[in-house]
Amino acid sequence: MKNMKFSPTRLSAKVSAALAMSALIPVLAQAQTPTLSNPTVSAILDGYYQSENRLMAERTEGFGLGETELAFSASIDDMFYGKLTTVFETHDGESEVNIEEAFIQTMALPNGFTVRAGRFLSDIGYLNNQHLHSDSFTSRPSAYRAFLGGHYFDDGLRVSYIAPTDLYWTMGAEVFSGDSLRAADEHGERKFDRTGVYTAFTKFGGDIGVESSWQLGFSYLRNENGLLTPEEHDEHGEGDHEDEHAEDEHGHSHSASYTGKNTYVADFVFKWAPNGNYKYQHLTLSAEYFRVSDFMVPELHDEHEEEDHHDEDEHAEGNSKDYHQAWYVSGVYQFSPNWSAGLRYGELDSQLQHEEHFDAQELKETELSIAWHNSHFSTVRLEFSHQSNVGFDNDLSDNAITLQYVMALGAHGAHQF
Amino acid sequence: MLWLWGLTVHINFKLLVSGVLLSLSQQAFAQVNIFACEPEYAALAEELAPEARIYSATTAMQDPHLVQARPSLIAKMRQADLVICAGAELEIGWLPMLQMKAANAQVRSTDKGLFFAAEHVDTLDKMANVDRSMGDVHSLGNPHLHFSPERMLLIAKALTKKLVQLDIEQTEAYQQRLQSFSKRWQAASSKWHEMASQLKGMKVIAYHSSFRYLFDFVGIEQVADLEPKPGLPPTSTHLASLLKRAKQDDISAIVVASYQDLRGANWLAEKSSLPVIVLPLSVGGNEQSNDLFSLYDNVLDLLIQEYNAQKLLTL
Repeated sequence: MKNMKFSPTRLSAKVSAALAMSALIPVLAQAQTPTLSNPTVSAILDGYYQSENRLMAERTEGFGLGETELAFSASIDDMFYGKLTTVFETHDGESEVNIEEAFIQTMALPNGFTVRAGRFLSDIGYLNNQHLHSDSFTSRPSAYRAFLGGHYFDDGLRVSYIAPTDLYWTMGAEVFSGDSLRAADEHGERKFDRTGVYTAFTKFGGDIGVESSWQLGFSYLRNENGLLTPEEHDEHGEGDHEDEHAEDEHGHSHSASYTGKNTYVADFVFKWAPNGNYKYQHLTLSAEYFRVSDFMVPELHDEHEEEDHHDEDEHAEGNSKDYHQAWYVSGVYQFSPNWSAGLRYGELDSQLQHEEHFDAQELKETELSIAWHNSHFSTVRLEFSHQSNVGFDNDLSDNAITLQYVMALGAHGAHQF
Repeated sequence: MLWLWGLTVHINFKLLVSGVLLSLSQQAFAQVNIFACEPEYAALAEELAPEARIYSATTAMQDPHLVQARPSLIAKMRQADLVICAGAELEIGWLPMLQMKAANAQVRSTDKGLFFAAEHVDTLDKMANVDRSMGDVHSLGNPHLHFSPERMLLIAKALTKKLVQLDIEQTEAYQQRLQSFSKRWQAASSKWHEMASQLKGMKVIAYHSSFRYLFDFVGIEQVADLEPKPGLPPTSTHLASLLKRAKQDDISAIVVASYQDLRGANWLAEKSSLPVIVLPLSVGGNEQSNDLFSLYDNVLDLLIQEYNAQKLLTL
């Protein structure tokens, strides 16, 4: 699990400089009366029943609690905003309390700059900075489960900028400790970079007439600890490997199942409502593409290439690629204030390290969800999911049914686009 | 990382070179950029600061409670010098997100370029204890203020003060505009009160409390609501109870705002043979409502037409 160890000294000198800048600015800013802080307290209750286990999923078979969260947020003064989100999770009878967000954010930097520090959700991709309770499906797409451990939050620092243009254009960069995105290290001997993850992202968006809106984003994530750990062949038996991997697949973990040095993400969202009125009907289409590359250590890479040539004549199974990729497309339509339905299809194309070579894996998932909303604050959802896979070590059934409720108590904050 | 370094250099440059100068110059030379949450406040801004660049986040065909914090709105708020909203928590579901994402300190505080109309007038239906089981109610009172002629005049005065505060060099022009607006508004108000006298005692079933202030000023009684609870759509059981109520024969019409779904109203109208009146929620809600004046004219005309037709029928 994560521990809170955000320490500026660990950050690179350049970022420390930026941090120092943000501390200077309030001194120079015009004096103004501090606004009264108005703390917002909200809780999310999420419970479910699921008929089967699913690959890399947080929800497990049977009854369970999803992300049950308690959040506090407020303007601290005229300069800072703060938020604390604690998440209660139960897995195999064990309860955990995790801190998902604990950050401060500047509210008064000039010229469209914002600095956020502490623990927060990374702004890469479309879904990642959204809270799980606002999702239209019971689980994140396989791309998120495989590469980001469901959703990626971490201790670090973000600087973002929004351009003063009619076309929405924002960009930003983040540095994180990157603990949850470290490559597997079963012997615990590897020396990892303590500041392991750097991201850069940009998003564009606008309206098409009164009825339609769109957003397009590109992100890059560099993971200094993403390269696989070289394996010591004699020490490492087949059995160990399978056990460890099995835990990755079924066990509860916020860590990414597949890591690599470079991750590229492209995301697109389109929303439509008749007359632009979201009260009764609206449609949300979204799609994201993830590509994770450079995960092989050089010696493995060579062997892998050799094997590829060697395998060409024999069988197709060894024909693995030197990158992982995943994508999904999703459409959600709200028919009436009380009912909505969503359909999502996604594929994951990953390479599993197996001694000296890599085996190609493929996971295809289709989800159909139907939700009933008594108000904006209560949702009951029924989801059917079908998955088919090649190369995953599991006895999971192809179909799963999930019944879930998600409800918000207290002052519930505004949602993102 | 090189890129991050570029950012710090940029901030540094701005700080060293411009500092205070920057904030002054931005306001002095640029055209005032106004972001209105609702079209009625864009229309009011149009009256009081016609040379400003004015953008309305919503139209009269949209529910102002449920607005997406969409990219275009963030981009507009990023550039705004003044944000005018109804307030009283009407925009609680989207305005805070826009403020957060727009990174524009100028429009975060009502001390500067943020203006909540509800803070300058007395709202109706304030509630001491608000509970979610009551539906979408606001403890600060009903925020759909714009159909109260007296309140709009107070809001116009307060907004002029705000404009003067932000753009002090144009003080005189703003004062003149306010004077002209007040004159025209007061003249129109007495006409509207006269028109309203024809409607006194009219009873209606309406959708939500969108026209709370209109009914208050005109003397119309909203005897029932199509919504079972504020913010919740009509249910069949609720509609059945409304039909029962309609059978008492004292109701003249079903009133629905331009953005609201007509299905429940039409069902009830068919069963009870009451007419449905679709009133523009705001400026732009129908062809006739092009500004605040024609909005009031049109709304009163529509009500009077229907009420007179009803009276003829009963004779």
